[in-house]
Amino acid sequence: MDKMGIVFALLGAALAALMSGVGSAIGVGTAGQAAAGVVTEDPSKFSKVLLLQLLPGTQGIYGLLIAFLTLTQIGILGGSPEMSLTKGLLFFAACLPMGIVGLWSAIHQGKTSVAGIGIVAKKPEQMAKAMIFPAMVETYAILALLISLLAVSGVGRLTI
Amino acid sequence: MAVVTMHRVNICALKKDRKRILEELQRLGVVEVCDSQGGEQFEKTDTAEARTIFEKNAQQARQAALILDDYVPEKKSLLASLEGRKTLSLADYDAYSAERDEVLRVAYRLTALEKEIAEKKADIIKLEGQIEALSPWLALPVSLRYGGTKHTAAFIGSVSEEMPLEAIYARLAEAAPELDAVNVDILTLSKEQTCVMATSHKQQAQALEEAMRAIGFARPASLPPLPPAEQQHVLEGEVLAAKEAIEDAQNEIISYAGTRNAMRFMVDYFTLRGEKYRMLDKLAQSKHTFVLSGYVPVTAEKLLRERLELNFDAALEFYDPAEEEDVPVLLKNNAFSAPVEGVLESYSLPAKGEIDPTGIMSVFYYILFGLMLSDAGYGLLLVLGCGLLLWRFKNMEEGTKRSLRMFFYCGISTVIWGILFSSYFGDVVNVVSKTFFGNEVGIPPLWFNPTQDPMRMLLFSFALGIVHLFFGLSIKFYMLLKAKQFKDALFDVVFWYLLVGGLIVLALATPQFSQIMNVPFTLPALAGTISSVLAGIGAVGIVLTGGRESRNWFKRILKGLYSLYNISGYLSDILSYSRLLALGLATGVIASVVNQMGSMGGKSIFGVILFVLVFLAGQAINFGIEVLGAYVHTNRLQYVEFFGKFYEGGRRKFEPFAVNTKYYKFKEDVSNG
Repeated sequence: MDKMGIVFALLGAALAALMSGVGSAIGVGTAGQAAAGVVTEDPSKFSKVLLLQLLPGTQGIYGLLIAFLTLTQIGILGGSPEMSLTKGLLFFAACLPMGIVGLWSAIHQGKTSVAGIGIVAKKPEQMAKAMIFPAMVETYAILALLISLLAVSGVGRLTI
Repeated sequence: MAVVTMHRVNICALKKDRKRILEELQRLGVVEVCDSQGGEQFEKTDTAEARTIFEKNAQQARQAALILDDYVPEKKSLLASLEGRKTLSLADYDAYSAERDEVLRVAYRLTALEKEIAEKKADIIKLEGQIEALSPWLALPVSLRYGGTKHTAAFIGSVSEEMPLEAIYARLAEAAPELDAVNVDILTLSKEQTCVMATSHKQQAQALEEAMRAIGFARPASLPPLPPAEQQHVLEGEVLAAKEAIEDAQNEIISYAGTRNAMRFMVDYFTLRGEKYRMLDKLAQSKHTFVLSGYVPVTAEKLLRERLELNFDAALEFYDPAEEEDVPVLLKNNAFSAPVEGVLESYSLPAKGEIDPTGIMSVFYYILFGLMLSDAGYGLLLVLGCGLLLWRFKNMEEGTKRSLRMFFYCGISTVIWGILFSSYFGDVVNVVSKTFFGNEVGIPPLWFNPTQDPMRMLLFSFALGIVHLFFGLSIKFYMLLKAKQFKDALFDVVFWYLLVGGLIVLALATPQFSQIMNVPFTLPALAGTISSVLAGIGAVGIVLTGGRESRNWFKRILKGLYSLYNISGYLSDILSYSRLLALGLATGVIASVVNQMGSMGGKSIFGVILFVLVFLAGQAINFGIEVLGAYVHTNRLQYVEFFGKFYEGGRRKFEPFAVNTKYYKFKEDVSNG
């Protein structure tokens, strides 16, 4: 059982990258379909809809960030991967906000982006407003990122 | 730093100068024309008919230009859109407008040619379908209409299954035993289809037909007069002809490539004329005079008066617009703040009585953007990129210029924050010195490193957020004072200042709070006591006055309690500024991750190449994503948190009667009939 700590820690890191990555893939994919539809009608809107399509992509990057930070903290990338079960579980818990919120928020941000792409299709001058709606959803991914970030770096300093 | 005061202007002049005065106004571009009201001897003209022609011509030319772009794509550099409109000399203008009938003829010809190409392409598809349908019958030496000779009857048909000869004979015998002399020839036999020609004695024609149908055969749908092979030849000839026609049409279109600029000119020319005629509609005209009414910014009054009164017999009158009028808004800001006007515009322009928040907003905009990107390397890229484009393309459109200037200033702020936090493409200095020179060197931060001390950065983000929000509140305070609503200023702003400010000081005076949040200091207990009293006053004040529009005291207190609940709104507003930390950390950490991945090749030639490749690709992606993120989230903080405290907006933009062209800028003294 002593060796299980590192397993849970790695599981946490993997989940952070995995779930937010899946979420972003779904979100960017949904938005991309809508964007492609707009471009068939008016290719000059490409750069605008591309920006909107990219918005749900950030969760995947935040997830990668947490995963990488955890990997360096737990010594998988060089160093000693020895830790107690408690510490491993703490790392696991620290990664959860990013993974779960990243998954859900990216999916919904993707849907909001689709709606924003609809705005740009009809009123391209309202681009700034169209970008704000998906950004509202992203707020919660950022809050989750913040907590996971603080928790992972905090747990790293604990000696248990 | 302000909304420019608008005046109404009435211009009365002689009809003979009408055209020249309108042209003068269009060039000056300082008057927004509205519907003019004269007395009863004035009347309106209706130019809808003439305008329709101009719009149709403009549309025709636009279409033609698009066709040319399709068939003869222009070689454009990536940055061509930054070059702006070309200025057309007077000679060119005259040359172009002299040949406008010819150009329009070409425009119509181009659209006709495109239509022809589309039709021919449809024809080819149809012909190829027919050829395809003929292919199973090619072996047939007679036409598909062939009915037999003098003494024989023929049945030509197909069944959509595989049916060998024996099977056909067997089924025929079964279906029509009386049929005695039948000959069946198989033309093609495949899994999907069997095509045959059956012949019998003339007397049995009817029986043969029925028997063939009974076993599933049907005559082909279309029956060309020629034998299939010959018919195919004819059809192929037609396809070839259509292809040639398409090629001819394409060549003709290409031969008109030289008229592209003339087409573009026509678009501008007819748009302008249409615009001017639209203004004519708005004039009140009598037999010899006309009246034009509109809005003009105060700053342009003198210029307008000089230009019109000196050159024409015109009388001008300026006056304040009436209270209920929908006056358009024009903003005027200094070079530092003006670039973020676009951000304000895309939210909403200030309502009547509201001040233009661009000045204060611009300062916070640059600070917040810089904090979110917070990397000296990325900041430098922004500054150099935008600076270079601004320097290289001086003629670019105003809107693009404004955005580039905004990112230029944002870049400067980013560099400053990057130096304060010691972030240069993440930790590239440390990584390179450690990996390739074996001796880790780092640039110490001027202030502190958020990656190592995130709590401190979080506190700083909140503090900045509080300053930002309080600035928003103070603008509300100022606007209420200006409107002489002193009570509202006390109830809606001062009480909130007391409550929120008091609670913050109280928190800072509590040792537990300082401990949790890592605040380096704790305020003396006395400050805590005083601030709790102040917060109490604020809270009581809000409960008593929050529902002051209700007469009923009971209702008023309930509403007051509800507005006190707004304190949770302040809490979430302040917490929202934690994105400054999150996005700032994300930039730095992702950049460091890229550096670390790049350095995995170690100290070797291969390692250096790997590092350069990974560094370039990784940093470019991170740069793009983080700039996008910083832009979007700075906007959000301004729109939601900052504007939420004081700003409503809602008026429309000042849109003067001006030269709004798409392709060319026209020199001053062109005449546009």
